[in-house]
Amino acid sequence: MAVRVHQTIKYEAEADPTFAPRIKEKRGCEKLEACIQCGTCSGVCPLSIYMDHTPRQVILLTRSGFRDEILKSNTIWLCASCYECTVSCPKDIRITDIIYSLKQEAIQARAYPRRFPIPVLAREFYKMVRDFGRTTESFLVVKLLMKTNILAGLKMWKLGLQLVTSGRFGFTPESIKNRRQLQQILDRVGDDNGKNGGPKK
Amino acid sequence: MENGDSKVRIGFYVCHCGTNIAHTVDVASVAKYAAGLPGVVVARDYKYMCSDPGQDLIGEDIREHGLNRIVVAACSPCLHEATFRTATARAGLNPFFCHLVNIREHASWVHTDRAAATEKVQDLVRAACGRVRHHKALERKRVTVRPEVLIVGGGIAGIQAALTIAESGKKVYLVEREPTIGGHMAMFDKTFPTLDCAACILTPKMSQVKAHPNITLWTYSEVMGVEGFVGNFKVKVRRKPRYVNEEVCVGCMECIEACMYKQPKFDDEFNQRLGKRKPVYIPFPQATPKVVLIDPETCLHFKTGKCKQPCIASCSRNAFDFNAEEKIEDVEVGAIIVATGFKPFDPARSPKYGYGHFPNVYTSLEVERLVNASGPTGGEIVMRDGRKPKSVGIVHCVGSRNLQTNRWCSKVCCMYSLKLAHLIKEHAGAEVYNFYIDMRTPGKGYEEFYNQLLEEGVHFVRGKVAEVTDWAMTPEEEGKLVMRVEDTLAGFVRRIPVDMVVLSVGLEPREDSQEVRRMFNISCSSEGFFLERHPKLAPVDTATDGVYLAGACQGPKDIPDSVAQAGAAAAQAMALIDKGYIEMEPNTAFIEEKECSGCKSCIPLCPYTAISFNEATVKAVINEALCKGCGTCVAACPSGSIKQNLFEDVEIFSEIEEVLANA
Repeated sequence: MAVRVHQTIKYEAEADPTFAPRIKEKRGCEKLEACIQCGTCSGVCPLSIYMDHTPRQVILLTRSGFRDEILKSNTIWLCASCYECTVSCPKDIRITDIIYSLKQEAIQARAYPRRFPIPVLAREFYKMVRDFGRTTESFLVVKLLMKTNILAGLKMWKLGLQLVTSGRFGFTPESIKNRRQLQQILDRVGDDNGKNGGPKK
Repeated sequence: MENGDSKVRIGFYVCHCGTNIAHTVDVASVAKYAAGLPGVVVARDYKYMCSDPGQDLIGEDIREHGLNRIVVAACSPCLHEATFRTATARAGLNPFFCHLVNIREHASWVHTDRAAATEKVQDLVRAACGRVRHHKALERKRVTVRPEVLIVGGGIAGIQAALTIAESGKKVYLVEREPTIGGHMAMFDKTFPTLDCAACILTPKMSQVKAHPNITLWTYSEVMGVEGFVGNFKVKVRRKPRYVNEEVCVGCMECIEACMYKQPKFDDEFNQRLGKRKPVYIPFPQATPKVVLIDPETCLHFKTGKCKQPCIASCSRNAFDFNAEEKIEDVEVGAIIVATGFKPFDPARSPKYGYGHFPNVYTSLEVERLVNASGPTGGEIVMRDGRKPKSVGIVHCVGSRNLQTNRWCSKVCCMYSLKLAHLIKEHAGAEVYNFYIDMRTPGKGYEEFYNQLLEEGVHFVRGKVAEVTDWAMTPEEEGKLVMRVEDTLAGFVRRIPVDMVVLSVGLEPREDSQEVRRMFNISCSSEGFFLERHPKLAPVDTATDGVYLAGACQGPKDIPDSVAQAGAAAAQAMALIDKGYIEMEPNTAFIEEKECSGCKSCIPLCPYTAISFNEATVKAVINEALCKGCGTCVAACPSGSIKQNLFEDVEIFSEIEEVLANA
């Protein structure tokens, strides 16, 4: 097998100097630059052993402005939001929150694989909460599967049937009173979130 | 008004300060303006007022024009108030008739508009001429300084300071809480980076302390209270009973042999509870003073009263005294050096490392005792389970650089971890892994020592250990402690199985640092270490005159730094007591006794504890020697009966009136 060679050098022109300041402005990301690169986050992370960049490297790359490198990384999508890194960080950096901001950045930039379920789930979840004030899991799962991987959905027919027969599959969407008020609240927040990469109305 | 307007003859001087002031302020017009102010007899501008000709100008004018007030508009009083007051005094006028107006920091350096700056300077000058006419002749008081020094803490810093001062011929009282001096250094095996044995270099100094005719050594004693002020501190020391006469015991240790307990049964504090001792014991063979003591908590006689007391029978010198009680000693000293040291971080506060849970997890101080030939294992590294480790992981920064515990870098851990790595490899032949965040080895010979360790084949992993666990995931990990860590230089997570874990614990302030701080009337920085007067230029002084700091009570420090700082503290203390007296600034507060209602509201407000209450006259009393002239009591006094020299109401109000006259 031939040895594959490619340049690994990074030129400063490839870094986005606005990236770190932009992430830092978001809620929970204020202490991004306090990182001393000790690796506690990676050490405690239950999933870091599968990541192409460890959480520590994600912080480093964000701080240095290598936006494309991060948005390509599987790390932000593997994060299970267990918050172990945030709890353990000796510098009180909210690493999970930073990873959320990076997810938003990736969703906005559409920097994820086609039919990738996580951004779809985020959008459908938000839409359902806005419309009904509650989520109905049965509807949400069906919608998610239809928009991402119908085949996988069809393969789960047996499980679906069991859920239906045991009465675990809700057919009526749950909702709350005064949905209009909730929508107004969310629209106000949504304006802000839209600017910062959150779900659009 | 004491001097009456007609009698006031003011000399006014405005300084160009090269171009520092003259560039932004029209000094010639300021002089001209001042010449027209009431009472001003002479008004001049000069290029450098602080130069010799500038100062001479003031003197000549005083003599020629019979001036009795001087106003100098120049730089900050911090810089040249003393210069101009001295010049005034040289010409025979009381120096406190001289007043400085800061027109450099307050005008020329902070403004760009020349006309406006000049106008502001005129306002300030008018205010100064308004206040100076009310100035009174004041005297600096001299207070004699006692030649003795109290040193609190008998670690290496206290020892060094005591020996330095004692060698100069001054008397020293050295007070140590533990039964022996030596402090933490006495517990160490070897010292970095030269690997000379700690005991070999420390114990001769300890003996010197004991033998020195100028040092009064009080071990097993604590300072209970401090009163007085710089030069004249009154100190109370509590001497706890050892139940053995210190003057008679020679430390033959026959009594330890004879004790009813045939085997040592109680945790040995000096050996970090890794070994056992008897109720009658000596902390370690070279303890100073070399005197045994009895621990009443464990001694059969004290607990049951039914002991045959073979210790007494064994003592040929009749040194035992079971009825001994604590003694209070009162001493007077001129200066105090606080050298109370540090406390190692308790790693039980960071449970992820398993200290107290896994028996084979040790603190660095415990390992110092394990590798020490006079330690509980005779220098062999034997773990709590009786095995000898084949692999050891040393975790740096335990309780340091972490907002959840202590935020500071403890400075010494990198170096002592390297030393322990070397000693463990030497004593046990084990594979040693160092887990560090950043390797900090600044210091003479320190980086070279790091290089030596690298070449000795010690492993270095850059990463903070996330957890220590006994949960094996591979056959090699069975029965081991596994350290999970990101090797941050390699960029992946590793699991490294070891037999023994060493936690390099950081340094923190002692638990009682707040009480000690209050007792000596000094401050702590935010982390709780004692605060120096200035971080660069007064590193051993405190905000309280006559109280100095040495060693790790001021911040984490290694032995060379502690010794150097102790020398500096000794020099500062000697400079004070050698002079024999101190001059007090006269800007102190005083009480108009007939107006004082005795409400005591000023007493708790004084940050320098300078105010006391005279029960006989039912009035507050200000100790001039302690008063720093902060003015808190003056502002707080409900009856307005506290006044302050140089800041009397008439002085301040006339200053305000004049500064606002053109507003």
